[in-house]
Amino acid sequence: MVTQYGIKFAVHLITNHFGNLVAKVCENLFTHGPLTLDQLIRYTELTKEQVKNSLLVLVQHNCAQAFVSAPEDEDDDVGRLRVRTEYLALFDNIIHRLRFPKFLEIVSRKLDEECVELLDGLLRDGRLTLKQMVDRASQGKENAVATKAVRDMLCKLLTARFVERCPAPEPVVSTSFKEETTTRKRGAKSAKIFEAPETLEQRVLDAAVPGDGIRFSLTADTGCNVDGETNSDDAQMVNVEENVEKEEQILWRANFEEFIRHLRHKVLIENVRTQHDDGTATVLSAVLEATRTVEKKVKMDNSVPLSLDTIITEVMKTDTGRTMTIDRIRASLGQLGCSQRMIVDDLYSIDLKKIIERARNEEVESVVLKRYGRDAYRMFRLLSKDSCFHDTDQIAASTLVEKKEAPKLLFKLWKDNYLYMEKVGLTGAKLSTILMWKVNKPLLWEYVLDEMHHAALNLSLRMAFEQEKDEELLNVPKDKLKEPGPLQKKYKRLLNVWLLLGSSLMKLDDALMLFHDF
Amino acid sequence: MSVLQGKRKRQELASALSASLSNEERAVYNIIREKKEMGIWKGDIKREIKIPESLLNKAVKLLLSKALIKEVVNVQNKSKKVLIAAEFEPSKEITGGEWYTEGKLDTQFIEALSEVCLKLILRQKVATRQGILDWTIQSGVFPGGVTAGQVEQILKVLVMENKVQEVNSTGFGDFASVPVGEVCYRLTKKAGGNVKVGAMASIPCGVCPRINFCTPNGVISPTICQYYNKWLDF
Repeated sequence: MVTQYGIKFAVHLITNHFGNLVAKVCENLFTHGPLTLDQLIRYTELTKEQVKNSLLVLVQHNCAQAFVSAPEDEDDDVGRLRVRTEYLALFDNIIHRLRFPKFLEIVSRKLDEECVELLDGLLRDGRLTLKQMVDRASQGKENAVATKAVRDMLCKLLTARFVERCPAPEPVVSTSFKEETTTRKRGAKSAKIFEAPETLEQRVLDAAVPGDGIRFSLTADTGCNVDGETNSDDAQMVNVEENVEKEEQILWRANFEEFIRHLRHKVLIENVRTQHDDGTATVLSAVLEATRTVEKKVKMDNSVPLSLDTIITEVMKTDTGRTMTIDRIRASLGQLGCSQRMIVDDLYSIDLKKIIERARNEEVESVVLKRYGRDAYRMFRLLSKDSCFHDTDQIAASTLVEKKEAPKLLFKLWKDNYLYMEKVGLTGAKLSTILMWKVNKPLLWEYVLDEMHHAALNLSLRMAFEQEKDEELLNVPKDKLKEPGPLQKKYKRLLNVWLLLGSSLMKLDDALMLFHDF
Repeated sequence: MSVLQGKRKRQELASALSASLSNEERAVYNIIREKKEMGIWKGDIKREIKIPESLLNKAVKLLLSKALIKEVVNVQNKSKKVLIAAEFEPSKEITGGEWYTEGKLDTQFIEALSEVCLKLILRQKVATRQGILDWTIQSGVFPGGVTAGQVEQILKVLVMENKVQEVNSTGFGDFASVPVGEVCYRLTKKAGGNVKVGAMASIPCGVCPRINFCTPNGVISPTICQYYNKWLDF
């Protein structure tokens, strides 16, 4: 879900990184949806050259995707001839720019320093060919870095799926949205299951993404470890040369999906560690590590099913799991909600969605506690857990809140969109109205996400303001700043302010991911 | 004497005493008795039987002195005391229930029982509801006694406050003394005092009452915000 302040924050990031012109184009894409070049020129009132260059920057940095709308009528030959390229702003990728340091940190833990530098180049420049990577790596060095060395680093990143091939530049996408229902047969019965309609952004991205066979492959035909063995067969030599040429033209970029998956797994494990214990966290960690490459999407509701034997094997591979007994592992799976009824075909699957929901609840409850106090916190938690309507008296009695105070607090929470309220009229001897209260989680989380984007924007704006306020300090020689006095005090304050604002923004970004990406 | 026997005895006494009442006094008494556990406020009696206020006040004073009726504080409206016939126990709607005394929530008792529960759980690492109830009865720490329902409610409130976690025993480690699968309680890591504050709650915007009025260049904005100024006052 893209919220009002989400868009403002995204546009702010684009302004900071690429300037006002690019930001104006981006803002118009968010406001009006996908637009053609001509439409953008009209809406932005910029020149054709300015709009084109802005789009090039956005596409280069994976913040926009071009696509061609397929004519709605398949027999519409005229429509087919009128090829219109439209541009779509990619909200998620723009917000990911905030978390590049986190992505680099993941690679630094898993791979070597050269891989980190290679990824850094891809994040800074958006997308690079192998040759561009070699040139970049060779900058400032006496001797050029060997292509093979860079290729090996790229291979490692591809194997770990931290890097992927860039998507198709202009896929053809149908933009008509007919009502679809999915039928799934279960034995003799069939039931219509509602699935949330696919957004245009999802369709465009799905159409653009390279097939699984080539997305993480260095070459289309022969995989990562192609070695051009010399032999006397000229045809094969020509093939190898062609492959090398093709390889050098392929554009690569950071695979944000994999980094978000890593971060999601990290949050799942840490939440389980806090709620339960290290042993249970170890079991979950082993399951997620074993199934990372087979997860079909980031937002998996349940872990990929595994047999108990496989889970035990994976747990015992880990340092912390080596000493765990089978009974202990079973008990941990029980704590993770794998009761007997959830075991299908002797396969265990963990409810990951529940862990994420719990983390979201805690984040919101933390705000309620701080903003409205302990009594409101208890009432909110009761309603949040029960997910159904309760009347005022019921809430006061269950949470031991003074009966006269309860309605005042409930009204405050409702006014600020934390609660949903309905009035129920009672007819009888006396006409009366009962107020029923509930936490409507989907609505609430959308509201909370918007508030978080607003807060993130505020933190960024304040950081910029503080930097501008004391800009002259950055030009003062370091020696002078070390001397005790008002200048040093000012400088120390600025450092503390940057540290606090910066770390708060990174912590808030974790919450943004929790509500939007996980 | 059983509860039923006591109630019958009171009713017999009431009949004997009411025989000596005047017509107005009897009318007031009857209307109060009709309302049983719910009782009735003096103002509502005046409306129902249209009796002059002076006569009403006199009748109520007499009925109270003869212990035929009693006054109970209404938790919904403390200024409007409710009159109830002596043989009835006021309903929870009037008194507020077992946690209310004189129309006010007995916060002292609630805090005391909460403390006891938390200390027991801390000492034993894991405790069951029955275990806590047995301890409070044996120790005599609450002279008036404590019911299973009260312990259960307090534990539920502690769960709502995120100080205590309701879990099923695994039979391992800290759960060794509790049968597998039985519901028991342990402290959350938050109860230790190191409460993890959420990301939003850690910054001024997260607790700001004016966030809906805040805009980048508005009268309320992050660059001139008083809460930010205080937060960044190093």
